[in-house]
Amino acid sequence: MELLSMLSANELVAQTVSFLILFFILRAFFWKPILKLLDERKEKIASELKSIEEEKATAQEIMADYEAKLKTIDDAAKAEIQEAVLEGQKIIEQAKSDARSESEKIIIEARAQANRELAMTRQELKDEVVDLVLDATEHLLEEKMSDREDRRIVKSFLDNLDKT
Amino acid sequence: MNESGSAPEILNLVTYLERVLKDTPWAKFLLLWENVIFSLIIAVIMILLGFLALRKRKLIPGRAQNAAESFVGGLDDFITGIMGPRGRRYTPFIGTLFIYILFMNISGIIPFMKSSTSSWSTTLALALCVFVYVQYTAFSELGFLGYMDRLMEKPRGFLAFSVIYPLLMLSLHIISELVKPISLSLRLRSNIWGDDMLLAVLSGFGLKGVPLLLFSSVLILIAAVIQTVVFCLLTTIYFAFILIEHEEEAT
Repeated sequence: MELLSMLSANELVAQTVSFLILFFILRAFFWKPILKLLDERKEKIASELKSIEEEKATAQEIMADYEAKLKTIDDAAKAEIQEAVLEGQKIIEQAKSDARSESEKIIIEARAQANRELAMTRQELKDEVVDLVLDATEHLLEEKMSDREDRRIVKSFLDNLDKT
Repeated sequence: MNESGSAPEILNLVTYLERVLKDTPWAKFLLLWENVIFSLIIAVIMILLGFLALRKRKLIPGRAQNAAESFVGGLDDFITGIMGPRGRRYTPFIGTLFIYILFMNISGIIPFMKSSTSSWSTTLALALCVFVYVQYTAFSELGFLGYMDRLMEKPRGFLAFSVIYPLLMLSLHIISELVKPISLSLRLRSNIWGDDMLLAVLSGFGLKGVPLLLFSSVLILIAAVIQTVVFCLLTTIYFAFILIEHEEEAT
């Protein structure tokens, strides 16, 4: 009973009513708007995060695509380089073989030329020797033979000399 | 106790006006509604603060809105953390209780103010609001029979036929439900009343008591917060028992 004496019915009712009024006012003008605002922000952040994730996925796809394309380009470039190298080597080989055959041709020509010149020189030398021998023989024999006969004799002599 | 034998009390706005208006009907009126007046002052302050915080509502908040949102967000997380996502429905009720009780508790250390929660009528009024809301939730969530079944500790099999056990459990649970608002309100009232008494006694020491008064004020501030948390936590748990029970039945 002593405990109950601390209570005041009027105060109890007034406090209940004042709390309920406060609750309904705050619920309508404070709690609901602010909770709605928090939900909206949460949803906005969630949707933005989702769109960021989607953009990230798209970017990754594009990156993978670019990487694949780069790889293809790289492979193609490598193949082209390889092809060019092979082509170059072929050209070099061709040039080498051309140069070789050309040089061989030149050498052969040079040899033929040299042989021709050698033969000519020999001929000239022969002619000169024949002349010298004829002169010498003329002096020795002091007898002049016909030029044509002299040449025949000396030539036959020299031919015999070559054979021996 | 003072000379008249009543508990010591610090001078506040109402007692000051009562002294000024001496023996007039206004003085009696003020003294009769002292706690209600201070509660109404707190209520008006709360409404003004709420209005100021959300006056210029924006998606990117200002300082006041940010503080209000942090508080509401934290409280909502706390309540939904205990009750689950359905607890969101009770955030305004428990939140209002939290701020109202906290402000009333703290107002005791503000000069010329008084903690309305040092009156049992105030705390019992709040506890009765909680009691009615919890019972309404129990009946609406579990249904009349479901709630009675729960109060009888769900007797099944043999226990269902032994009339004594379910009736005993029913009566025990009814008593425990009825005791809840009394324990809830008396705990809060007694703690805050004790704090007020301490302040009143220390303020009677004059200047010598000032350091002790300041130190006690800090302790009282902490106690005010703790008592608010206890009251609201218990309220949350009362709701959570009903909601969890309902979810278990649903699953």
